[in-house]
Amino acid sequence: MSIIVNLDVMLAKRKLKLKELSEKVGVSTVNLSILKQGKVKAIRFSTLDAICLALNCQPGDILEYVEQER
Amino acid sequence: MKILKHITVAVLFVLTLGLYYFLKPSNPLIMTFSFIVIGFFIFNLIVRKSLSFRNYFTSRYNLFTTNVRFEKSYDISMDLMFEKIIEVINNSNFKLVETDKDKFEILAISDVSFISWGENLYISFEIKGKETIMKFCSSTLFQIYSWGRNEKNYNNLLNEIESSLIV
Repeated sequence: MSIIVNLDVMLAKRKLKLKELSEKVGVSTVNLSILKQGKVKAIRFSTLDAICLALNCQPGDILEYVEQER
Repeated sequence: MKILKHITVAVLFVLTLGLYYFLKPSNPLIMTFSFIVIGFFIFNLIVRKSLSFRNYFTSRYNLFTTNVRFEKSYDISMDLMFEKIIEVINNSNFKLVETDKDKFEILAISDVSFISWGENLYISFEIKGKETIMKFCSSTLFQIYSWGRNEKNYNNLLNEIESSLIV
């Protein structure tokens, strides 16, 4: 996929653990792990909003578009 | 095999009817037979809640269950998929009964109702390359046909898995 999820990078920058983020955001650790691996089908604006609030960052810090050869 | 199974069940049914028709209810043979039948039903209802009896319920030779098998693969690690399925089952109509993290096996059941003796859903996981293959075996108790219920329940569960991948 061309969309890369940089959630692990942001977690490392904020020195937060996935479980702590899960508690702040209200999304299960399983779902956040799947999101971190970029394997989710879609992400809700409400989830993105909560993650950005918890990590004090912009959506672009979490999601990145990388052009790939097709 | 399926036809042979149906014929055997039909013969057993006719034999049972014949036994009850030709013998008096007080006959010891009838009493013993009734106890065996009732005991068998109770035994099945008790042991259905254990993963240890998986092979018994999912066996092709078990005359009293109908098994429907499905497979579905996801590009997600087996550990995560295992946790995901537990989460999905907890939010579904199925009741999570037992999980085995070492063997990566899950047993969920549907409740007994007026139209069904309940359904056992056995889920096992396998890795194939980068993908995790989930093997579902839906076993309906004391029924020769599931009347499409197993397929319907499986489709509902699959829809719930798909929608749970939207975070």
